[in-house]
Amino acid sequence: MSTQRDDLPASDKELWRRLDANGAVGVRPVDDLEFAAWIEGRLGEAEAARLEASIAADPEMRRAALDIADILGKPLPAAPERMAVRARALVGFEAERQVARKGVGDWLLNWMAPSALRPAAVTMAAIAIAAGGFTMGGGLGASFAQQHYEASGNQRAVSTSEASTDISEFFASDGI
Amino acid sequence: MQVADLNQIDLQALARGDKRSWDTFVGAAAPLINAMVRRALAPYGLGEDDVMDAAQDVFVRLCAQDFRLLKTYDPARAGLSTWLAVVARSAAIDHARRRRRPTQPIDEVPETVLGVEDRHVEKLKIPQGLLTERQTLILKYLYDEEREVADIAQLLKVDPQTVRSTQHRALVRLRAYFREGTG
Repeated sequence: MSTQRDDLPASDKELWRRLDANGAVGVRPVDDLEFAAWIEGRLGEAEAARLEASIAADPEMRRAALDIADILGKPLPAAPERMAVRARALVGFEAERQVARKGVGDWLLNWMAPSALRPAAVTMAAIAIAAGGFTMGGGLGASFAQQHYEASGNQRAVSTSEASTDISEFFASDGI
Repeated sequence: MQVADLNQIDLQALARGDKRSWDTFVGAAAPLINAMVRRALAPYGLGEDDVMDAAQDVFVRLCAQDFRLLKTYDPARAGLSTWLAVVARSAAIDHARRRRRPTQPIDEVPETVLGVEDRHVEKLKIPQGLLTERQTLILKYLYDEEREVADIAQLLKVDPQTVRSTQHRALVRLRAYFREGTG
């Protein structure tokens, strides 16, 4: 098959526009790191050629490469303070993140989670509170003394009642 | 803060979510992200609020899902500033596409885009292997994008003369192939 052409344009640009280069190169997806490595000139010859085929076939990648190389080659003006403030607010301190991650329910569930020490600590605390309260109340001695006091008080009350009954009977019998 | 400072960031602390590392990173990265986002959004004619929102999108991408994107960065493969510029441009373009279609002054649009193409003219296919990938890329930059030789040389990290000679060799091969035939 002959590709003889007698009507080739004189201008290089015209010639290029008469040609279809899209089928001439193999294209594959390019990830961000590969693209960055190519822009930095870090890739080997074969790898760079593969990437250049993909970049040549994609106008958006061609523009991106030029933009990025241009930006990286220049001194950069400071960013607006508002931009930095908003970006900083995206990440909180560790304590803030823990609180944000755990609501009250999560905290309670976590607290109630089985643990070897927790039931023992709760039991000890209950015993300490009970013992403390009992001691403050006087203990067994005070309890017996209280019981004895209440018993004798009842006895005295009974005696007083009996005496008053006797007096009433005396006055009644005397006709008063 | 200069871009050079960005490459001094403690990436492990940053990926752990350390607040101080993040604040330092933001201070170092903001000028680059700001510049990249503005450049990417320029053809779309969007305002300052969109620049702010697109830049915030970049930072959100970086720290979202426990810094998943940031953890994919490998310093052995590319510099942080270059990778960040790629990520920033990509996020800005996504933001702009969500907002509106691009507008570009007619003077800046390459002739090839403006010209009404006669769909009936069948283009001659360049056979695979006739040009190297780099030759194809350079011709596309020169004729499809109408870029300056100096810009292409800066991108490819070569002398402008190397770009010209690559262009020349590619055209000689094309002319030779299509004029003389390959049989």
